[in-house]
Amino acid sequence: MGKKKRGHPDIEELLARPWCYYCERDFEDLKLLISHQKAKHFKCERCGKRLNTAGGLSVHMNQVHKETLTSVENALPNRQGLDVEIFGMEGVPEDIVQQHNQRIIQNFYTAQAERQAATGNPPRGQSGGQGPAKKIKYETPEEIKKRLAEHRARVAAQKAAAANGVAPPAAPVDGQSPAQGASPFPPPQPGYPYPVPGAPGAPGMPPYAATQPYAPPTAAAYPPGPSPPPGTTTAPFPLPARPPSGAAAAPGVPPPYFYNGAGAPPPGYPAAGASTVDELVANAARQGGGPGGVGGDDIDQLIRMAEAGIKPPPPAGAKAVAEEGAAAAAAGGERKKKEMRMVYADTEVSPEEKMAMLPRYRWVEEAAA
Amino acid sequence: MAPATQFEVAQPPTDAISALAFAPGPASRRLLVSSWDKNVYLYEIGTFEHRAPVLDVCFGSGPEEAFTAGLDHQVKRIDLATGEQTVVSKHSAAVRCVVYSSEHSILISASWDSTLHVHNTANPSQPPLAIPLPGKPHAVAASPSKVVVAMTARLVHIYDLPTLASALASPQQPPPTPQPWQQRESSLKFLTRAVACMPNDAGYATSSIEGRVAVEWFEDSAESQARKYAFKCHRQAAPEEEGGGDVVYPVNALVFHPVHGTFASGGGDGTVALWDAEAKRRMRQYQRFPDGVAALAFSADGRYLAIGVCPGFETGMEDYSGEGRTKLFIRELGETEAKGKGSK
Repeated sequence: MGKKKRGHPDIEELLARPWCYYCERDFEDLKLLISHQKAKHFKCERCGKRLNTAGGLSVHMNQVHKETLTSVENALPNRQGLDVEIFGMEGVPEDIVQQHNQRIIQNFYTAQAERQAATGNPPRGQSGGQGPAKKIKYETPEEIKKRLAEHRARVAAQKAAAANGVAPPAAPVDGQSPAQGASPFPPPQPGYPYPVPGAPGAPGMPPYAATQPYAPPTAAAYPPGPSPPPGTTTAPFPLPARPPSGAAAAPGVPPPYFYNGAGAPPPGYPAAGASTVDELVANAARQGGGPGGVGGDDIDQLIRMAEAGIKPPPPAGAKAVAEEGAAAAAAGGERKKKEMRMVYADTEVSPEEKMAMLPRYRWVEEAAA
Repeated sequence: MAPATQFEVAQPPTDAISALAFAPGPASRRLLVSSWDKNVYLYEIGTFEHRAPVLDVCFGSGPEEAFTAGLDHQVKRIDLATGEQTVVSKHSAAVRCVVYSSEHSILISASWDSTLHVHNTANPSQPPLAIPLPGKPHAVAASPSKVVVAMTARLVHIYDLPTLASALASPQQPPPTPQPWQQRESSLKFLTRAVACMPNDAGYATSSIEGRVAVEWFEDSAESQARKYAFKCHRQAAPEEEGGGDVVYPVNALVFHPVHGTFASGGGDGTVALWDAEAKRRMRQYQRFPDGVAALAFSADGRYLAIGVCPGFETGMEDYSGEGRTKLFIRELGETEAKGKGSK
């Protein structure tokens, strides 16, 4: 789709950016990252020489200045160690990569949800509830033929099933579903919490492909089922597995996925699909613009909140998840209130006054006199 | 590039260091150290024993004159050439700080009896002018024209040195008690630990026990006051098994570089950091010292930084002793090591 380039990079671009293990900053390209590392983390504080790696700096300090390097400068508190050999993006431990990617994904969706909540625009690739109708216009003769072939196959299958004494899986299939079946991705529905990103998961991004894009930190938010995750969908759906819209969903198939806003939403659906309050509000805002089929008092309330511009409370769920990877939380610069412990906490009496009270130092006028 | 080296002084004081001072004069390398071991050390010359722990020391009008603040309530003048000690004034409690203003030949001592004594060093026989303070002073620093006194309850009084000088010179007997030029509340929420004035007389920096440093300007205009800021420093992330979060150390020492106008802070975490007040940036942080940094001093030409290292007094300590763990380091700075980049 020839969409105008927006100011917001999409998730693949973000994930592809090289980033610095020591300070979690990301860069336009690898060259910049490497020069950053040389200037910020691998620079000798004695003579200013820039080394390529922490190990190199350690050897340099040892040989030239006869000193031992104990930590990497300007690094995040838990990344100061010399035990990992980092050069550019090489040498970053796999779990740290995953933490980083998760953080990027989470930030991306939070930012996106905020943008959508703020602007009221529908998510990318989706134009306010008329997606399916528009889709039909794009059908090529080949697609129509394919649809016809599929339709015939299905009718044949139904007949065969009927002949075997099994009830047909669905009532007369409406004319809309073949269009859905024809495209590699089901057309985004108003109720679909997040758009399917343009390309199936970029290579080398296992966490992204593995977790569900619309609920980044919690894979569990998406109930496991036979249907492949959206990012990996390639072929048209095997038709018999697809539940007829509006009818009871096949067991194990997540209803949100096919929920097209026409029928009543399955109870508790938004809570299942969204992991944070932000997302809920974003969903609500999006649904507010779509067909009025959305029921449920809480959603209405969320819509009202979004309309009134009330900021939802910080995404507690996301925070809790982030805290699971404790290292990631600190590294990710989570702006949460940090626990702190002061080594000297008396705000009235100075340490010197306390020291002066100790028998060791106490001054007694008579003693000297 | 000029060598940046650091060496440890061979015979450090035997107990915690309270203050460091380099002698005035561009080439002077003379360093005074006051200590809780009841001595004032003049490095390369010798030591001057006092009756009680010495809480502060400063040079007087030249490299041969020093003033000390004692836990025994006395402010003393030491003739460094002869070793002769004379009591300049007596407070009714321990003396916390002494500062000398060479511009006005005034010595100011601050004591836990909540007074400032202003001495006219040109006329030692004249009794000092006592100024009552609303709280116990914890840190005092002088700029060319101002004296900043940080007290308990986050009070900060700024006195104008010319006013103090004229009050001392006043023929009226007793002389009128000078009023502070400005009364402020500290920008920091916790007990003030150290104060240092900018050498260009524009402002000052304060630090607190809660790992934070504030930079403020003297000028009372709205735009000048809007420039003030504070930042966190001297903190360490606690290990996860101890509950995570930050361990926050007091910032025990602040000194401005006499030439470049940048400043160094020394914290209970044993690190010394160099800051660029203009650019609001940390320029460098030196490798951790074995114990907390108690005192810092730049030499008059800014070539050397003296770092007094000893265990910090922490909450709940019953038997503090700096014995055996007190160290003194002298760091020779490279040409541009303490030079800021200027604001961006």
